[in-house]
Amino acid sequence: MEKLLRNKTAIILFMAPTLILFTAILLVPIVTSFYYALCDYDKATRAYSFIGFENFSKMFKDPIFWISIKNSLFFLVFSCISQLIFGMLYAALLTNINKGRNFFKNTIYMPCVLSSAALGLLWAFVFHAKVGINTLLAGVGIKGPGWLYDIKGFITLPMWVIAFVALWQYVGQSMMLYMAQISGISKSLYEASYIDGATKTKSFWHITLPLIKPMVGTAMSLNAIGSLKFFDLIYSMLGDKTTNLKMDVLATFLYRSGFSSKGGNHYGYASAIGVVLVALCLLSTFVINKVFKTENYEM
Amino acid sequence: MKKLLAVVLALAMLLSMVSLAGAEEVQEITWMFWDDLEASSDLITQGFKQVIDRFNEDYAGKYHVTPITTQLEPYYTDLNALVDAQKTPDVFIVSPGPNLTDYVAPGIAAPLDEYLADGWKDTFAGDAVFAQQTYDGKIYAIPLNTAAACVFYNKEIFEAAGATVPTTYTELLDACEKIKAYGKTPITISAGTAWCLSMLAGYLCDREGVDLKALNNNEASWVNEKTIAAGEKLVELSQYFQETAAGDSNDDATTALYMEDAAILIQGSWAIGQMNGGNPDFEAKCGVFQFPAIEGANDPNRIIAKSDSLAMSSTTKYPEACIALMKYFTDDTAQKYTAEVGGKIPVTKVEYDASKAPAQLADVMKIFGNASATFGFYNESLVSSDAGSYFDDQMVAIFQKEKTPEEAFQAVQDWYQEYFAKQAEKAE
Repeated sequence: MEKLLRNKTAIILFMAPTLILFTAILLVPIVTSFYYALCDYDKATRAYSFIGFENFSKMFKDPIFWISIKNSLFFLVFSCISQLIFGMLYAALLTNINKGRNFFKNTIYMPCVLSSAALGLLWAFVFHAKVGINTLLAGVGIKGPGWLYDIKGFITLPMWVIAFVALWQYVGQSMMLYMAQISGISKSLYEASYIDGATKTKSFWHITLPLIKPMVGTAMSLNAIGSLKFFDLIYSMLGDKTTNLKMDVLATFLYRSGFSSKGGNHYGYASAIGVVLVALCLLSTFVINKVFKTENYEM
Repeated sequence: MKKLLAVVLALAMLLSMVSLAGAEEVQEITWMFWDDLEASSDLITQGFKQVIDRFNEDYAGKYHVTPITTQLEPYYTDLNALVDAQKTPDVFIVSPGPNLTDYVAPGIAAPLDEYLADGWKDTFAGDAVFAQQTYDGKIYAIPLNTAAACVFYNKEIFEAAGATVPTTYTELLDACEKIKAYGKTPITISAGTAWCLSMLAGYLCDREGVDLKALNNNEASWVNEKTIAAGEKLVELSQYFQETAAGDSNDDATTALYMEDAAILIQGSWAIGQMNGGNPDFEAKCGVFQFPAIEGANDPNRIIAKSDSLAMSSTTKYPEACIALMKYFTDDTAQKYTAEVGGKIPVTKVEYDASKAPAQLADVMKIFGNASATFGFYNESLVSSDAGSYFDDQMVAIFQKEKTPEEAFQAVQDWYQEYFAKQAEKAE
């Protein structure tokens, strides 16, 4: 094996399929979209023309872009914090119970594997103005709010609603990551701490938390990238109403500019939004990795 | 034995190859539409399904059409995706105006004059039905039906509230006030589906006398007394909308009328099929009147009219099959259905039994007959489909009180100025 790994031709041969696939379906489209971001697409001639940074200057003047940035950053912050807290809480609780652990673990994780489009439609019914929660509230004499169309406030009510639905759907993923990391911590560390008089809370703060810190960075990076690319739930819950409801995030803004019936077909402009999205994903991952930079401990 | 088996197999293969070569190839085409043929309760959609089934049955072995169905909202998105993937459907439904222009200008839609010349054109009600489908003297789409935007109302609620059918804007406000006092929602409308609200705004603009032609020719400004007055009336009327108007879809708003939660719906007559399909009991209770006049302003007999049209792909392999299908949509059977069941106005000279047609169609036909002129949806009558989307958004912003009418129309004016500047740049 060691001999094989010293053979450069063998290494290249083994890596080639992945490299070719990575280049063809990821690298080339990313690089091309950078080029398209500098072009204008003419609907009439269906041709691209080079316009430099015009798409970017137009984008930075577009109020919908700033609404999208605000909403995307809200999702990012909300998702990172809430999934960190609830994911870790679930993981800590479930690793400490013996009865029903698998049941709760599967129940919490199940929404992750379900279709976001189907879940979005389901939740859209739950929060529909005339059915679902509002009907129940009306039954006890309470007038429910416009869960999915109230546009008052800096962060609108629909944004909070969708953020909570996203938390419900994806918290299982964070929980699994933390559980895997907690399961890897040696029991002897806890036993030693108990002998020294530590309580369960203290051992959680002084043993569990420091040792799962590398996983916090990984989970948060995944959450951050997922939140910035967030599209499916919003689109399935609101459809084309996102712009008029001030509910656009970068991904829905990109979709609307590139593909929507409403003001679509501006592929150059949509590519420019895509470039900003990629840049934000890279930046957030870089920041999170810097913040959660840790030494690897023997567990 | 082995040799015998080999000979038999070789003969069988040869025979099957000969029979395949001799068989006539079935011309397979696709047709794209914005509703689900199997699941929709819309009567017009059900009529289209009958046309498709009839075509496939009559032309079995010669032509075959496969429908590609989507929903109304993402329709053009999906169609554009197919066009860009060079998989343009052979025949596709399209709204006249800038939407059709998007397919005519780049040569995606084929001119149809040579096919119409065989006498097919004479079956239509007149040349005027092709007005919105004609570019430089060539016809690029076939109209299937015409619908007029009218005001549908619940006669029972009007009577119980003591309201009368309004002919003027002031009377409309009075009727709304009475209905509100009676405890019902006066007007059901969708701002979630922006074109619905935009249609009302378009009517208000036209009634005020906004000169759309001058605006589109860059000879006037969007910020003027007439547009501002229309915007103010939109705000005034919005106090009578259902509370959930901001988030309601077109279907939600229409359902509120035929389920008798609201008294008035401003909508195209294509909604008749949906209303009667959704609640057959409502047909007898539903009345129709034309959008009221604004006192001292423009001609009140102008109505918004729209037709569903079929275009043919310029890259289709089987134009004969496409034309045969299009003819099925405009034959007497389909056009009779359009009027008698679907409640839309036929585009051909077909004679239909008015007694079989939905009750609302007689009212719509009366309004259509009295019309002094027709005009298109505002969002489909501007300089481009993007301009239409932008106009829709600005009307929603007025309704949501995000912008004053002055600010909203100034935004449309700014958009127009940028558009004309770009056009001038391109021309240079």
